[in-house]
Amino acid sequence: MKAEFHGEARLENLESVREFVASACHRAGADSSFCFDLKSAVDEACTNIILHGYGGREAGSIDVCFEEDAERMVVTITDRGRPFSPGEIRAPDLSSSWRERPAGGLGWHLIRKMVDEIEYLADGEKGNRLILVKRRGSPGRL
Amino acid sequence: MEIEVTQREQVTIVAIVGSVDGLTAGALVQSFREQVHGGNVRIVGDWSGVEYTSSAGLRALLETVKETRQRGGDLRLAAVQPDVLRVLELAGFTGILKLFPDIETAVGSFRS
Repeated sequence: MKAEFHGEARLENLESVREFVASACHRAGADSSFCFDLKSAVDEACTNIILHGYGGREAGSIDVCFEEDAERMVVTITDRGRPFSPGEIRAPDLSSSWRERPAGGLGWHLIRKMVDEIEYLADGEKGNRLILVKRRGSPGRL
Repeated sequence: MEIEVTQREQVTIVAIVGSVDGLTAGALVQSFREQVHGGNVRIVGDWSGVEYTSSAGLRALLETVKETRQRGGDLRLAAVQPDVLRVLELAGFTGILKLFPDIETAVGSFRS
């Protein structure tokens, strides 16, 4: 099964993106906690694209493609905003006290926790592609 | 997302219904700030109606925890639903925030 969502990169569209991912995920036979994780990871990624990729510019496009097979579900998010380097985003120190706990880096931390594989391809012409892979049978709970 | 603020004893209850994401978290931050700046630093977040939260919602919680505790109060959460609890756990927030099964217990925790 393959499903696609095309929309403007606006915060107002986040709910529609989440509904699109959760619906496709359920139709592909995953349970609700698996689908919650996948939609959360896509929401965090799209929020970053909207705020940082397109931040300060006119809203561009955001395309979300959902694909699945017997082993895994794959969501590819394509945008034409500023590229970035996911590998350079440091994980927050979760052992720090509330006083020292940083507010940043949580979005990427959640993406890393909620999917099994992350690939990022920066391309100014074809668009930047972020590929999120969650394997079937991947634990939905801690 | 809808926000309703009520008072019980000396505690302010901020009840949220809906999803807290990059679009709606700003309104939540604003609501919390109004309470803190008005001197209401003992806050219970009624999370029974929150079906989703992203990191934007977590940042709103973290900011409010810091602001209330620095003024001698606290932000405590009641009735967090399983999916949202998982986000709090993955983000390491269950070690920071005090969570309670319901509003009564959360409000009562400020008496002791």
